[in-house]
Amino acid sequence: MTLHRKSLAGVAAVGLVASLAACGSSAVSAGTTVDFWYYQPTPEQAAKVQQLVKEFEAANPAIDIKLVEVPKDDYNTKLASALAGKKGPDAGYLDQPQMARYAGSGQIAEVPAGTVNEGDFYEGALNTNKVNGKLYGVPLQQTTVVLFYNKELVDTPPQTWDDLVATAERVHQAKPNIAGVAVPKGDGFGAWVFPGFVASAGGTMLDEKNKKVTFAEPPAQEALGLWRRLLQSAPRKITNSELPFQKGLAAMMFSGPWDILGIREQFPQLKFDVAPMPRKAKEASNIGGDNGVVFSTSDQKDAAFKWLQFLCGESHNAAFADITGNFPTNVKAAKKSTLAGDPQFKVVLDQLESAQARPAVKDWIQINDDYLAKAIEEAVDGGAPPATALNTAAERARKLLGW
Amino acid sequence: MGTRSSGVTAPGSRQGARRGKDALTAYMFITPAMLHTLLFMLLPAAAALYFSFTEWDMISPARWVGFANYQEVLFNGDLYPDFWKSVRVTLVYGLLAVPASLLTGFVQAYLIDGIRRGQPFFRLAFYLPVITAEAAVGAIWKWLYDPQFGLINAALGFFGINGPDWLGTPGTVVPALALIAAWQSGSAMLIFLAGLKGIPRSYYEAAEVDGANAGQRLWSITLPLLRPTTFFLTVTGIIAALQVFGIVYVLFSSNIGPEGAGLTYVLHLYLAGFRNGGMGAASAMSFLLFAFILLITAVQFRVLPRQYEE
Amino acid sequence: MQSVDTALAKGRVPKSGRVAPPASRRRSRGVAPTALRLVAYAVLFAGVVVALAPFVWMIATSFKQPQDVFTPTPTLLPTDARTGVWAPTLDNYLQVLGIGGFATAFLNSVIVVVILVPAKLLLDALAAYAFARIEFPGRNALFMVLLATMMVPGVALLIPKVFITQELGMSDSLTGIIVPNVISAFDIFLLRQFFMTIPREVEEAAMLDGASRIKIFWSLALPLARPALAVVTITSFIYHWNDLLWPLVILSDQEKYTLPLALQALVSGRVGQPQLVMAGAVVAVMPVIVVFLIFQRKILEGIALTGLKG
Repeated sequence: MTLHRKSLAGVAAVGLVASLAACGSSAVSAGTTVDFWYYQPTPEQAAKVQQLVKEFEAANPAIDIKLVEVPKDDYNTKLASALAGKKGPDAGYLDQPQMARYAGSGQIAEVPAGTVNEGDFYEGALNTNKVNGKLYGVPLQQTTVVLFYNKELVDTPPQTWDDLVATAERVHQAKPNIAGVAVPKGDGFGAWVFPGFVASAGGTMLDEKNKKVTFAEPPAQEALGLWRRLLQSAPRKITNSELPFQKGLAAMMFSGPWDILGIREQFPQLKFDVAPMPRKAKEASNIGGDNGVVFSTSDQKDAAFKWLQFLCGESHNAAFADITGNFPTNVKAAKKSTLAGDPQFKVVLDQLESAQARPAVKDWIQINDDYLAKAIEEAVDGGAPPATALNTAAERARKLLGW
Repeated sequence: MGTRSSGVTAPGSRQGARRGKDALTAYMFITPAMLHTLLFMLLPAAAALYFSFTEWDMISPARWVGFANYQEVLFNGDLYPDFWKSVRVTLVYGLLAVPASLLTGFVQAYLIDGIRRGQPFFRLAFYLPVITAEAAVGAIWKWLYDPQFGLINAALGFFGINGPDWLGTPGTVVPALALIAAWQSGSAMLIFLAGLKGIPRSYYEAAEVDGANAGQRLWSITLPLLRPTTFFLTVTGIIAALQVFGIVYVLFSSNIGPEGAGLTYVLHLYLAGFRNGGMGAASAMSFLLFAFILLITAVQFRVLPRQYEE
Repeated sequence: MQSVDTALAKGRVPKSGRVAPPASRRRSRGVAPTALRLVAYAVLFAGVVVALAPFVWMIATSFKQPQDVFTPTPTLLPTDARTGVWAPTLDNYLQVLGIGGFATAFLNSVIVVVILVPAKLLLDALAAYAFARIEFPGRNALFMVLLATMMVPGVALLIPKVFITQELGMSDSLTGIIVPNVISAFDIFLLRQFFMTIPREVEEAAMLDGASRIKIFWSLALPLARPALAVVTITSFIYHWNDLLWPLVILSDQEKYTLPLALQALVSGRVGQPQLVMAGAVVAVMPVIVVFLIFQRKILEGIALTGLKG
């Protein structure tokens, strides 16, 4: 069945080329299907994305969008092996730090000139799509992390690191069964959040210009020290139960806007609010987001780019980002976002201004997920001195980067 | 063309004709199996060896690198910092899980063999965990082990024990896995039971005449005579333990557990190959595992036949 | 050849486990005094409680409403956490079957086993019969090759098998689950052993009547091998219904997920909602348990007989 559809798609592609040659316009032949991969959302969100697809298909009757939902944890694995098996999608999400790798190996197509107007987008988000000055994708949504707190346990959200430690201790001492804060762990998420803390202490992760690894310097050590300190009033035994904040087991957590939606949807009884990240030297957080790309193997590139255009354009980018609890990347769309008027989302939007971009080296994911995550785990949970753990990671990163 | 032409080539013998035709039928019968073996066993075996000498991410063509993968996997702690950790996790898992499930299985079998009514019921109940999908076992036990709301710690709490955070503390992860293995002791139970039923009744009667009590009979008749069964279960158990994957993959949601305590050999191999694109290195890891299992199998062949001669 | 063959038979099937004599009362060691037997029953019942508790917990959780799941003292029944009133719900099932994709996954799993199991049975039986009963040039050598592949652990060939499946254009499809699994050397070996026990005279009589090999295979050998075929059918059904690793590396599109994969995605995607995960686990586990309960006697005896690990 699959083979059959693919070969039909092949026939359609030939037709497409022919029609292109004939009239020189980017016509799309009828019955074109675009496979689009994205992170598996909650069922409620999936239904809303389906709604967007219907709108698109109504405007482009010749194109069918086939949504493929892949669990976020497995996304990169599945994508790599599907592409290897020549069964890759036409278009899909790509995590910001993966862009350099995929562009480098020629697996994603350059965005044809005229597809999007670069001036329409937030510069930070747009730039994550550029590899060696060329545009390989369009920014679909962006996000950052803020402080969540349980209003029944915390009256006023802490503003500084010292406040944070004091608040966490106060909660835990009053109620030993409740953790002060769900401390991030040494996994991909923890390593993703970590740079925000480092920046807050006045540090950076990499100095790409001078080819120096900077994440073992004192600001990063202080950041790890903070997490270690927080752990004293937040036993893992409490926070290792899944979703401790949502279940009222942890008074605070660091998380992104998707959890604002998630909690409202699934834990309506929880009284919570959000606040800017507590700061040390300056206000800071980390950035994340997803880009939309078209894969080189696709034989439906025109139709696929049309769909991406639709998702990042002024009229629908806000709707799309809203669904998954992220923010528009299109400046004009951001003004329309229904979330902008929401006080909790306003906090996140403001935090986005101090969010730190990720290093744009092609091996960042591996440094982040393997090396840094391990250092965090050793120092926070294992109790190793932060300097030792970070230096080991930095040494490995230097070797990997060849610096 | 069958009968006639072969009848011509082997004149004067109807049996020869039959044999020729038979051979043709036989080739027809085995063709699917042999073709499949060639395509999905022999070819992959050769390819596995070849790929282990290449740098390969499944996307760009493989590049020959000689023994670099083996050297990096085994000795380069910067590139594969967790290799030896995964070996240790797997060995400790085997050391705990195999005896745990054998002991449980034996006790179950011994008790079942000693009762009169209800043997089928108990066999069935103890075997159910074995036929449960790994994914489901992982899902169920993840929830059983929840440090706040799990049934296990609630049960321990009933006895006044403050249960640990099983899957969140490095030290308790492998014991928690071994407990699951003990829960799945049904296959060992069945095979022990068959072994017990195979022991001639007369041995016990003779021992009873000599005045041996139940404990003595267990020690000097049952256990020695079950030695081949135990040995067989130990070897197959170790081989299975070396390949444990699904349960940890589900329990830790494709992560490696606290401080990598859930990183079994095959999980490490899977992550190195399928997630990080190091198919060459992962092939080297699978070959090392294969060599190790082959070694165990060879030992098994060497030891077992002698056991039978007793 | 012959020596390898028998050694292997011994390696797989220890002598004491080979023959399971009818469990008559006389033979049972249940001559233990009543008091001891009562102790045995008590321990066994306690064991059954432990063995079945996870299933009970799974089923109970699957019927709970979200707000009743996280209670400080676990409740076995789906009751309202505050009032204690009986309050089960089917919502979790509706959610996983509908939006959670379990209805599709269930159908996919059914398609896989309905095609794979009979195809595998037929192809394996064909080869097994040829190896057992027909003389043909190269028979021993080819059988040796087949036996040798039994020693290779599945994981070792994972990567090249994925590669070949991709090259054949079968990745990310149910065909890619079925075709690479359609032959099992172990099943061929097992069935061959069984075919060899069929008396030759029966076949020779049929041959004298002019029956062809195919006819003999189909209407004589296969019906006689029914007990062995039943064991192979049910064990392959359970194995492929439960298999996680192969679908995990072959399938990407959630529309094609089989149940174990859908369950794994549910575990990592629906963090903190065990009521949904448990409903998914029930859907994945129940068909196997039902099939098992229906055929349990045949399976349990077959497994003990062959030393097969569930």
